[in-house]
Amino acid sequence: MVSKAAKPSSQEILKKNVLNADLCTGCGACVNLCPYQVIYHDRTVQLHRCDLDDGKCRAFCPRWEIDLDLLRSSLCDSADLTTEIGAVKGYYLSRAADPKLREIAQHGGTVTALMELALTEGLIDSAVVSAGNQQREQSGFKAKDKTSLRENAGSKFVVSPTVAAFNQIAAENSGNIGVVATPCQALALAKMRLKPLQDDAGHIDKLKIVIGLFCGWTVSQEKFQALLLLNNIDPATITGMDIPAGKTALVIKTGSGEKIISFDHVESCIREACRYCLDSTAEFADVSVGSARFGNEWEEMRGWNQMIVRTARGSQLVDLALHRGILEVRKAPNGILKELKEAAAEKKRTALKNIIRKSGSAKNLLYLESSDPFVNKFLEKIKR
Amino acid sequence: MKVRLSKDPMNVIITGVGGQGNVLASRVLAGMLVNSGYYVTIGETFGMSQRGGSVMSHLRISQKSIRSPQMPQGGADIIIALEPVEALRVLTKYGNPDVAVLSNSRVVYPIGVITGELNYPSLTEIQDILQKTTAKNWLIDATGEAVKLGNPVLSNIIMVGALSATGLLPIDRRSFEKEIARNMTADKRPINLLAFDTGAGLI
Amino acid sequence: MGNEAIARGALEAGVNVASGYPGTPSSEIIESLAIVAKARNLYVEWSTNEKVALEVAAAASFAGLRSLCAMKQNGVNVASDFLLHLASSGTRGGIVLVTCEDPGALSSVNEGDSRYFARMLEIPLLEPANFQEAKDLTRWAFELSEEIRNIVVLRSVTRMSHASGNVICGKLPVKFRKAHFVYDGSIMDPLRGPVISTPVVAKHTLQQEKLKRATAIFENSPFNTYSGPKKPELLLITSSACFLYSREAIGMLELQKRVGILKLCCTWPLPPKLLKKHLNSAGKIMIVEEVLPFLEENVKTLAAGMAGEIGIKKFYGKMDGTLPSVGELNPDIVAAALAKIVKVKYKTLSTAYTKELRKAAALIPARELTFCPGCPHRASFWSIHNAIALDGREGFVCGDIGCYAMGALFPATGYHTTPTLHSMGSGTGLASGFAKLAAFGFDKPILTVCGDSTFYHAVIPALINAQHNRADITFIVLDNSGTAMTGFQPHPGLTVSAMGEAVPSVDIAGICKAIGANVAISDPFDLEGTCKILNSFLADKGSLNVLIMRQICALSPEKKGKKIFDVQVNEALCLGESCGCNRLCTRIFRCPALTWDRSKKKAVVDEVICAGCGVCYSICPQKAIIRTEAKKK
Repeated sequence: MVSKAAKPSSQEILKKNVLNADLCTGCGACVNLCPYQVIYHDRTVQLHRCDLDDGKCRAFCPRWEIDLDLLRSSLCDSADLTTEIGAVKGYYLSRAADPKLREIAQHGGTVTALMELALTEGLIDSAVVSAGNQQREQSGFKAKDKTSLRENAGSKFVVSPTVAAFNQIAAENSGNIGVVATPCQALALAKMRLKPLQDDAGHIDKLKIVIGLFCGWTVSQEKFQALLLLNNIDPATITGMDIPAGKTALVIKTGSGEKIISFDHVESCIREACRYCLDSTAEFADVSVGSARFGNEWEEMRGWNQMIVRTARGSQLVDLALHRGILEVRKAPNGILKELKEAAAEKKRTALKNIIRKSGSAKNLLYLESSDPFVNKFLEKIKR
Repeated sequence: MKVRLSKDPMNVIITGVGGQGNVLASRVLAGMLVNSGYYVTIGETFGMSQRGGSVMSHLRISQKSIRSPQMPQGGADIIIALEPVEALRVLTKYGNPDVAVLSNSRVVYPIGVITGELNYPSLTEIQDILQKTTAKNWLIDATGEAVKLGNPVLSNIIMVGALSATGLLPIDRRSFEKEIARNMTADKRPINLLAFDTGAGLI
Repeated sequence: MGNEAIARGALEAGVNVASGYPGTPSSEIIESLAIVAKARNLYVEWSTNEKVALEVAAAASFAGLRSLCAMKQNGVNVASDFLLHLASSGTRGGIVLVTCEDPGALSSVNEGDSRYFARMLEIPLLEPANFQEAKDLTRWAFELSEEIRNIVVLRSVTRMSHASGNVICGKLPVKFRKAHFVYDGSIMDPLRGPVISTPVVAKHTLQQEKLKRATAIFENSPFNTYSGPKKPELLLITSSACFLYSREAIGMLELQKRVGILKLCCTWPLPPKLLKKHLNSAGKIMIVEEVLPFLEENVKTLAAGMAGEIGIKKFYGKMDGTLPSVGELNPDIVAAALAKIVKVKYKTLSTAYTKELRKAAALIPARELTFCPGCPHRASFWSIHNAIALDGREGFVCGDIGCYAMGALFPATGYHTTPTLHSMGSGTGLASGFAKLAAFGFDKPILTVCGDSTFYHAVIPALINAQHNRADITFIVLDNSGTAMTGFQPHPGLTVSAMGEAVPSVDIAGICKAIGANVAISDPFDLEGTCKILNSFLADKGSLNVLIMRQICALSPEKKGKKIFDVQVNEALCLGESCGCNRLCTRIFRCPALTWDRSKKKAVVDEVICAGCGVCYSICPQKAIIRTEAKKK
């Protein structure tokens, strides 16, 4: 007999600790690396049994063996680090200078503007963004120009296996790549950047820029679609969605006007994995962008983004954007950064509580190291 | 050509993997012997076992009567194998120190070997076992020769040809010609005769 | 071949009509008769199932013709409902039901012993013990049937039906019968009245009188023979292939002068006088038979009744564990039992030699059954597995009988999905039942598969049941255009009959649509397309969905040896065991023609056995498997 030892395979580890534990974010990091994992709707499915115990699937999963300390020290300047929102090299309120772009954007159009710049400047050859079909099922989409980028602008609320698309495009000899990523996706890409497996070094080197999205949660596509049907909304007619600040409802814009779904209902569709996520600002992206929603100044700020520059690559791109006049920035009102940090800290505390409830012990933080100094600060706060 | 058998009954096993033409080989061989006036009892299985499994035909050749279609264990006089590991499989059940084994050397891997769960013995290991457990043995590349003739299926007839050249059984080219004249369409006879001769030439 | 001998016996008896349903080891009987059908003025058909086959044969008997109906052991169960009524109504022209059974289940999913039907339904049973008898007894069975005006069962086994030996043929009749069906006589007139089983008690009495006549005939039948000493130390009572094993075993132990064999061809009802004579001759009796102790029970019942005259006997057989009551026997099993009873040494090989053999045995890899290279089922089950996995609700497949039963065997593929496997058509009935368990918290998608021949045989009622009772199932027909497992006998979906005549085909899709199902057709070699349809079916709740996966069997005469593609592995691209593939093709897909080169650590195509279906090209994540259109030979 030459069968392999009974050490659990990477696939079994992920099945037990991520998929069956409801921790899978559906980011797609384990997909398109091999024939064994696929995304179906927004679920990660293990099609066949693989017995390798050092697979890329496990190595890249953002919900397994995350060494935040190592990621921070490898990818960020220690001087920039904050406990709540990761590395901050620069912080701006920004928006696209192009008013046409702002019209189609969710908020200020910063993400699309930066990616357009990266494409037109030749920094990247393609951008991976999230694109939905008529059922609002998302998949990673390879945008090679302005038009296709703009067609897919706007918040999706449903998770997309964007990293799966990156994996595929990277394997296709397609030149340099930029990715628009949620925090979990940015974390997976950061794990890849540490090059845990040698034979993929070439692929990950193509990743030139990651623009992170602020993210509180995403909804499960299957549950959300059921909710839309319940509210007599044809997913194909949706033109946009938003959660106005201070409101407890999701506003859905369709061809025939707006419909409002109570947040209680939307909450029941939130992907279970999102409850265990500590990151609301995509801490391991090069630049992170989110809305600039502030309770009192909502109407004024809704056309703007908050933008955190995190890495040298991020700085270069943002500096170039400012230099070219692609982005407009304005002075941030007092206390905004503090508000952002507080919101981020709140998410970390809630997620940690959920993690502990799931694991049954503060010593077992599932995918996180309980010894991590940053995590520990929040742990202490929970205990108090 | 009815001659006295060195032993009565002579117990012959033809073995192989489903789809290799085991049944045809046993029919042709039995036909040649029946034409010469012997009683031949064939026991064989087909159906499910043909689906990639081991197949085996027992031929009991006698001057006196028909016999049980299954021979006793340890009772084979001649084993003809279309696949080497099948020769060993039959040998471990029906072998005895006097047995003669004529085996094709071309391997057909079992699924368990393809998946990596099982090992397939090396040619040296196979030869070593044959040396230790048989009175006579031949390992010939019948499939290779059949491919040269244009159709790997002919390996079964090559084996029959080779068997005739070993002198273990009272069969010859004439009895083969007679048999295929009875049971094969005319267009197929020349290539089968060529396969028979090729086999005979390998011994 | 035993089956050819049976067919020859029927021809010598002047059989007019032969019908059956394919099943190993019975199929060659009808096939052999079909070949000579025109020359011998026969009507031969492959019927939709065994019950219909027996009805077709019975009609011929009612019309005064001779008819034969052949099936495997499971078929007798299918035919048994009609058989019960037929046995009660009686028959006219000679009619023989041939059942070919499979002790050890060499090509079956059970080893049913249908001799009990003869006892239960009160009809005579004959069992040939060699090839000559297979022919002669078949011929005689027709005469017996006409003598007693009832159906006669002839039972063969794999080692008789699929074994071959010398047979001396008899003459073929020159006259052919004409069909006449007369039914204007009294209800109790076996030759002129209506053929029905009522009035039941009166007809039952008549039936039992017929059986008594058969018993009387059996007393003097030349087919029951004894060989051995006058007063044997041990008497073997045996039938069928077990006679050959017993004789061989006696020879192996050189016990010809000490042990006698009573070989019975007429095994139900047993002739009591003959039994009495032989039971009287010995104190120890061993009954050798396959599979269950049918003969043993009947002999013991007779012996108990005669105990006052023949004394108390010591019996050996299955009931006391001397012989196994499962699996098939062979000369060694019988010899070992004999040696123990008469206390002789059962010679064995030298220990040194056996040790060498044991060493060799340790090196021999098992050869498990699998789908053939190019088999559509490997591709079909791949898509079925993937669709179930993608669906994510732990659906499963209720299996059925055919080559695709291997979907239930783990080594056959690395993706088995079939936890149930029973009789023909049962997969659909089981699926129909599973689908109604949602109210009990069992909410899984239920799929079922059946072959094209199985569809006509027994699936249609179950499918109607599923539709009528709103059983939400995905029903898959693995249509490989023939009864592949048993050797490509035609079925109602094809346009040619057993006798080679043009016949209308009955369309599976049309039947399913008429039942009210949604019907789609796919080529299982199109993995992606097939999977997509299946997933849409699994997601579609509340309706009966049918997918017909159509692709001809790789072994079918029209396809065999004709490659669609030449397939090769580009070693430079093959990832082998590396992460990113980990041998998907050889570890999971498991085509016998796609093997693993251990030294190079690459997949390699064995061109000798590759059937050229090209499906492996579709599964290779690296596109390292190259397929090019095959050159025409």
